[in-house]
Amino acid sequence: MPEYLSAHIQERLAAQAHELGIRVDVRGDVVHLRGEVVSEERRREVEEAARAAAEGHRICNEVSVVPVGEPDGEERLS
Amino acid sequence: MIRVAAAGDLHVGPEVAGAYRARLHGLADQADVFLVAGDLTRHGTVEEGRVAAGELRDLGVPVITVLGNHDYHSDAEEEIADVLRDAGVTVLENEGTVLDCGGTRLGVAGGKGFGGGFQGKCASDFGEPEMKAFVRHAKDVAARFGGALLGLDADVRVSLTHYAPVDDTLEGEPPEIYPFLGSYLLGEAIDAAGVELAIHGHAHKGTEKGLTQGGVRVRNVALPVIQHAYALYTLDPHPAPAR
Repeated sequence: MPEYLSAHIQERLAAQAHELGIRVDVRGDVVHLRGEVVSEERRREVEEAARAAAEGHRICNEVSVVPVGEPDGEERLS
Repeated sequence: MIRVAAAGDLHVGPEVAGAYRARLHGLADQADVFLVAGDLTRHGTVEEGRVAAGELRDLGVPVITVLGNHDYHSDAEEEIADVLRDAGVTVLENEGTVLDCGGTRLGVAGGKGFGGGFQGKCASDFGEPEMKAFVRHAKDVAARFGGALLGLDADVRVSLTHYAPVDDTLEGEPPEIYPFLGSYLLGEAIDAAGVELAIHGHAHKGTEKGLTQGGVRVRNVALPVIQHAYALYTLDPHPAPAR
């Protein structure tokens, strides 16, 4: 049923892209993806998995790539 | 003073081999130990485990890790642990280890942990066998992890899990999935042992800083949360509170 499409997309994201933390919202014929992944390639994989599970829908991929640089400070716990 | 670097949820694979390690070249100057809070891989394959081992070997400081739920996905968790150990990484599963950091003994007890939920909002050991198995597994894991914490003979003690011991650091995650992100049983074990710091990962949309009911500082070091290759914490040794 179309009302459950977002859940089925999330299942596909877990099974195919192995990403569990992506938010999926279906509005009309557009699938919105939000969340964070560690590389541009993962971002594309998420989009491809969503596309495979949502035939006929446009994918709006708002997933961002986490910039993982060196830390800019330390926290002193005393 | 003990300097702890920590990160979780690296999710490495062959396609990103070397990329994470490239961010670690300053680590040995900044930290005495590197704690990794699980989910080193994505699919939990041995191949990914080898990539993770390559990222973490010979960093110039001891590396201590636990495995996460992703590392179990392909039923190869033991092989992954072996690959990591071959690379010199200490892999803890409900056990502890003690390091000498410039004359101060740092004790780290680690385990993957498990879900189940938090006080007033958790599953019960009741009903169908599947539900009882879920809850009993959470209890069993927490009991063994707690034993490892209590067994640490050290000046500074740190807890390392993948799953969250408190719900503070889950803020930002949908409340409906909290029971799959951690368990109060882990927090209870941490408070019973009275450690200085509790590190975990797993909750990518959560927040970094939290507190157990007993006042132990909790830090969620999942990479999407800390937004850096690792977080740095410094700890002063002092006697654990009497309990």
